[in-house]
Amino acid sequence: MAVLPSEPILSVKETDELAPAAFESYRWRPRAGSLGVWIPGLVVLALLFACFLWPLIYKIPSPVRGSILESNLPIGSPGHILGTDTVGDDIMSRILYGGRVSFEVAAAVQAIGLVLGGLVGIFAGFVGGVREAFVMRILDVLIAFPAIVLVLAIVDGLGASELHVIWGLCVFSVPAFARVSRAATLRLREQTFVLAAGLSGSKRTRIIFKHVVPNVLPQLITFALLGSGVVIILEATLSFFGYGIPLPGPSWGNMIAQGAALMSVYPRLVLVPSAFLFVTVVALNSLGDGLRARWGVER
Amino acid sequence: MSSSVAAPADPVGAVLPEAGARRSRWSALSSSPSLRVIGKRLLIAIPVLWGVTFTTFLVLNMLPGDAASALLGINATHAEIQALSRKLHLNEPVLVRYWRWLSAAVRGNLGTSLASGQSVSSILAHRLPVTFELVAYAIVITLVVSLPAAILAARRPGGVFDRLSMVVSMSGLSIAQFVLALLLILLLAVTFPILPAAGWVPFTQSVGGNLKHLTLPALTIGFPLACFYTRLLRADLLEQMRSEDYIVTARAKGLGTWRILTRHALRNSVVGLLTVIGLNLATLLGYTVIVEEIFSLPGIGQELLTAIGDRDAPLVEGIVLVFAAAVVLVNLVTDLTYGVLDPRIRHGRSPI
Repeated sequence: MAVLPSEPILSVKETDELAPAAFESYRWRPRAGSLGVWIPGLVVLALLFACFLWPLIYKIPSPVRGSILESNLPIGSPGHILGTDTVGDDIMSRILYGGRVSFEVAAAVQAIGLVLGGLVGIFAGFVGGVREAFVMRILDVLIAFPAIVLVLAIVDGLGASELHVIWGLCVFSVPAFARVSRAATLRLREQTFVLAAGLSGSKRTRIIFKHVVPNVLPQLITFALLGSGVVIILEATLSFFGYGIPLPGPSWGNMIAQGAALMSVYPRLVLVPSAFLFVTVVALNSLGDGLRARWGVER
Repeated sequence: MSSSVAAPADPVGAVLPEAGARRSRWSALSSSPSLRVIGKRLLIAIPVLWGVTFTTFLVLNMLPGDAASALLGINATHAEIQALSRKLHLNEPVLVRYWRWLSAAVRGNLGTSLASGQSVSSILAHRLPVTFELVAYAIVITLVVSLPAAILAARRPGGVFDRLSMVVSMSGLSIAQFVLALLLILLLAVTFPILPAAGWVPFTQSVGGNLKHLTLPALTIGFPLACFYTRLLRADLLEQMRSEDYIVTARAKGLGTWRILTRHALRNSVVGLLTVIGLNLATLLGYTVIVEEIFSLPGIGQELLTAIGDRDAPLVEGIVLVFAAAVVLVNLVTDLTYGVLDPRIRHGRSPI
C-alpha cells in the first residue's frame, strides 16, 4: 500500500556547518538562551498570579460599585494604589479583574483553536485527496475574509458578554491552527518513521495520535502562545468598541474606552490599562519567540 | 522528418494563413505561464467569493435580531415590524433571499441598502476612495520604514541597530491598534497639536488637508505592519546571506556587503515579502474598520460597523464582497509580480 520514498533514505543533509561562509559576520545567530524564555515567562507568571491568586490572598477593593465620593483619586492614594476612575472604582482592582478576563478569553480561544483547528488540520494533511481539498477551500474562504466582520456580526448579534467574545474570536483561531497543523502534518507524512508505522500495520488513528500529534504539538503550542497576545488585543479592541465585556464589568478595553473621553485631562485613565495590556502582550510574544527558538520550530 | 520542417505540417495554416497565425498566437498566449496563473487564480476566486458571501448571509440571518426591528427601534409595535419585514422581503426563507441577492449580484446589481434605501453601489462608490487612500498611504509608510530598517539591521546582525530595531519592532507588534491611535492623538493632536485628531477633507478640496487628516490613521495602521515586515525581511535577508550560493559568487566577484545586500539578497527576499503583504491584506482591511471608527473617517469600514448593527444584509454583503475581491485581486497581482522580480519564475519554471 504505502509507496517507498523516491528519494534515498540516507542522504547527507546540507547543514550550515558545511555551507560556505561568504561572510564571517553572518555566522552570528541569536543565542537560543534560557533568558529569552525565563524573563517573559516570569512576567507572565507574575501577571497570572496577580490576576488570579492575589485577590484571593489579599483583600483588594471591589472593581465595581465604588463610591462616587472617592472618584478621580490620583495614583498613590491610600487604599487605592493606582487611584480611582471617574465613577470612583479602584483602578488597580479593575486592572486585576480585567486581566483575569483577558487571560480567560485568550486561554479559551486558543484551547478551542488548538484542539478543533489542530485536529481538522492534521486530518486534512494526513488523508489528503478530495477531503483535504474540501477542508482547504473552506479555510480559504475564512482566510480571504476580513475575520473582524464575522466577529463583529457574531458578537453584535449574540450580545456583549465574555462567552460571546470567546465564540466570536474562535473564528480567528480555528482556521489559523488548522493551517499550521496541516502544513506540519504534510511535512511529517513524508518522514520515514511515519512510513515505518504504516508499514508495520498501525491503524491510521494510531499513527495520527501516537506519531503525528506529539510531533505537531510543540509547534501548535508556540503558535498558541504567540497567538494569545493577539487574542488579548482583539478582546480589548472589542471591549473598547462596546462589543466585548459590558460595563460596569472590568476589562482593559472598556477601561481605556471610558478613559478616552477624558484623555486630555486625566491621561492616566488611558495610560495605566494600556501599559498593562502592552506589557502582557510583549511578554506573551517574547515567550512565544523564545520557545520557538529553543524548540527549533519554524514559523 | 526533414520534409515536415520544409513544408508546414499544418494544412489549415497553409490554406488559411490568417487563421493559422491567429491560432498560433492563441497557443502562445495560453502557454504563457503568467496567463495560466491568472486563469487558474480567477477560477479559484469564484468559489471563494461565493463562499464569502454565502457565509456572511448565513451568519447575518442566524443571529438574533433582524433589520426591521433594528431600523424601527425598541418602541416599534409588533404590527409595524411585521409590515416592514414584508416590505423588505425579510419573512421569506433565507435561501430564497440569498438566491435573489446572488442572481442580481452576478448581473452587477448589488441591491439597495435596507437602512437608507440608497443603492449599495453608490454607497460603495462614495466610501471606497477614502478607505483605498488610507490603505495605500499605510502601505507606503510601511514600506518606507521597513525596507531601510531591515537592510540596516541585516547589515550587521547582532549589532546596535539590529538589536534596537528588534526591540522597537517587538513593541510595535505588541501594541493594540486602538491604543496606538489614542497615544498618537494624545501626543500629536493634544500635547503637540500638529495634526488633526478626527475628520476628513476630500482630496479634490485640498491635497494638503487630505493628507494631514490621513496621517494619524495611516500611521496607526502602518507602524505595526512596518514592524512586522522589518522582522520578516531581516530574517529572510539573513537567511539568504548565510546559505545561498549566489551570495558566495557575488562575494567572490569582490562586491561589498552593502551592494550584495541591496542588489542581490533584497531582490530575492522581496518576493517573499510581497506574498506576505498580499496575504495580510484581509487583516489590513479589518484594521481599517477600527481606525476609521476612532478617527471618524467616512470610509467603508465605518459603514460596515453601522450596517452590521442594522442587519443591513445587502450593504454588508456588498462591502464584504468588495473586501474579498480586493484580497483575491491583490494576491493575483502579487503572484504576477513574482515573474517581474524573479527571472526563474518568468521563464516558466514556476513554483506556483
